[in-house]
Amino acid sequence: MQQRFRKPIKIALAAAMTMAAVGVAAEGVSYRQAADMLYLVMSSDRAVYARKVVQRLTRDEQLLTASEHFEDDSALPLPAQMFRFGAEMAADKTEDFSYSLLSLHPVNRKNGPGTDLEREGLQFVADHPGENFYGEEELGGERYFAAVYPDVAVAEACVNCHNNHKDSPRTDAEVGDVMGGVVIRIPMD
Amino acid sequence: MARKAALWILCVSGTLIATALVTAWMLVGGDRRMLLIGKTTDAHHQIETTCETCHAAAPFASAAAAAKALNKTCRNCHEDALQAAEDSHARKLFRSPRMAVYWEKLDARLCTACHVEHRPEITRPGAVTVAEDFCVACHSEGDQDVRKARPSHAGLTFDTCASAGCHNYHDNRAIYEDFLVSYAGRPWVASAPVHELAMRSRAQKPPAEAAGKRGAALAPATALAEQTALHDWAGSGHAAAAVNCAACHAPAAEGTSRAAVEAQWIATPDSAICEGCHKTPAQTFAQGRHGLRRHPSLAPPRDPSRRLEAIGLSGLLPKAAAAWLADLPPPMHMTVAEARLPMRPEAAGESLHCGTCHQPHAVNTERAAVEACASCHDGTHSRAYFGSAHHELWRAELAGQAPPGTGVSCATCHMAKAERGGKVVTSHNQNATLRPNEKMIRPVCLDCHGLGFAINALADADLVARNFQGKPSVQVESIEWAVRRTQETGN
Repeated sequence: MQQRFRKPIKIALAAAMTMAAVGVAAEGVSYRQAADMLYLVMSSDRAVYARKVVQRLTRDEQLLTASEHFEDDSALPLPAQMFRFGAEMAADKTEDFSYSLLSLHPVNRKNGPGTDLEREGLQFVADHPGENFYGEEELGGERYFAAVYPDVAVAEACVNCHNNHKDSPRTDAEVGDVMGGVVIRIPMD
Repeated sequence: MARKAALWILCVSGTLIATALVTAWMLVGGDRRMLLIGKTTDAHHQIETTCETCHAAAPFASAAAAAKALNKTCRNCHEDALQAAEDSHARKLFRSPRMAVYWEKLDARLCTACHVEHRPEITRPGAVTVAEDFCVACHSEGDQDVRKARPSHAGLTFDTCASAGCHNYHDNRAIYEDFLVSYAGRPWVASAPVHELAMRSRAQKPPAEAAGKRGAALAPATALAEQTALHDWAGSGHAAAAVNCAACHAPAAEGTSRAAVEAQWIATPDSAICEGCHKTPAQTFAQGRHGLRRHPSLAPPRDPSRRLEAIGLSGLLPKAAAAWLADLPPPMHMTVAEARLPMRPEAAGESLHCGTCHQPHAVNTERAAVEACASCHDGTHSRAYFGSAHHELWRAELAGQAPPGTGVSCATCHMAKAERGGKVVTSHNQNATLRPNEKMIRPVCLDCHGLGFAINALADADLVARNFQGKPSVQVESIEWAVRRTQETGN
């Protein structure tokens, strides 16, 4: 899978978020490379928020809590929420790419697999730890390159929340388990 | 034969002239009321002849581009309110291609999927133009089948989702499940009910530095001779805050000399003067139904010459023709006569600006909170307020027989107070708490009432019409169901 971007605008989208971070020339970037670079930026940002903000202020310094209803509770958004808010804001601004945090065992049903590729990709990353899944699919009359990256539970707080949430279909998750996946899509036309 | 030819000429000429006139009305300028294709929805009717406010696409744009431009204009005015509502079906949630399967069912990326203008025959409250059971489109199949996910919902029909006090399409801040659980079991009314922000608002004092500036009431002798105005002003908050005559009547000359003030004296200042200081009220006034015509997103009147230029016909229009075609500037203020709600006939000549409710010299917020409303509004709900428990509380507070913040005026519910930067401000946007009426629960009702009572009361249309005289006859079961499910799942 080494299709090339045909339009400069497609190149620009990858460049906009990733060039400065990884020092890669945008010209000739493949869909897969672009998706990998986007994932690197978004997963790094999420890790920084989880460690430097949430973990520090809640567990280490015990100044704040993190809560699903963070506004009503005057708390910090959960790292997964922070990630979704970014995905929603990006979706509001561009159709040049999109990303989602999905799971085969979602707390919120709308975050379950919605397409055959999502189902196959989420199952693949769950069955093959450390590997990504790449493919193509047609949605709404357009062809998309799609990449699925494993989302691993890195802290006790992640699994506790998922195991104890009243809407969670899975209650036996452990640290290190693949909880779901990040799906990135780039239109190919 | 000659007669037949003449008729043909007459017919063709008439058609061409009519076409030219309609084209000119649509694309260049002039009175366009005859082009309205159907009764406009409430509130929008105030701006119905500023077509470009909504129809913002370039002339001869494709249907897709026109729809996109139209939906963008909806967001120009309504996006802030939707964000504040934490919109449950925000456009951004449906733009990802993974949601494509839903686009064919109900395209939530477009406001016009549910809100089509100029279609009075299918328009329901909230300007909704889809059938009452619209939730069935997406929540009746697969993982999203709510009847499978919630056993309590198994026997429900989809026309009850958004009509029974349980769910709203956009704003669910007061009725989402965990909120219901956290407020379950509270009494119908608090033991010492008080609107905290109203109480704090009453305690807000003019800035201390104002005291040293009082008394410098420079004004022409004729103005100072108006004893009633002077008397009203002397007892007002403006006087206490050292906002003297010139601040409103001659702002450019304020703090200079009597001669300068007299030279630049404005006998009847308009609302723009008020807006200079009262920014939040002015901003929210323009977002509401009373001040919609002052909304910054409204399209300005068309300039015929520029319109012709836009369609490649620049320089063709003589000045006289341009003047004839020019749009009339829309009235700055909504008039009571234009209202679609029941109004007092004697108020028909009133127009809505700051001074209408606030009396420019007395600046009486107590009058503005009830009497001003009742001087125009004459519907069942408005009439029933007088003598209601809420009204009695208001009277007691004004009489000093009850603590500040315990009274309930029209403004308490319809112009809710909010806190911004540590200061209490009054929203002048009635829409913020109007419809669906569950929007009123968090900023207003919960100050004094339990959530269950508030939900039931607002779901009881007859009780709302009686202005809450009596107890709700409607029992919304959402709190019981939410609590039961939480107990069953052990979380």
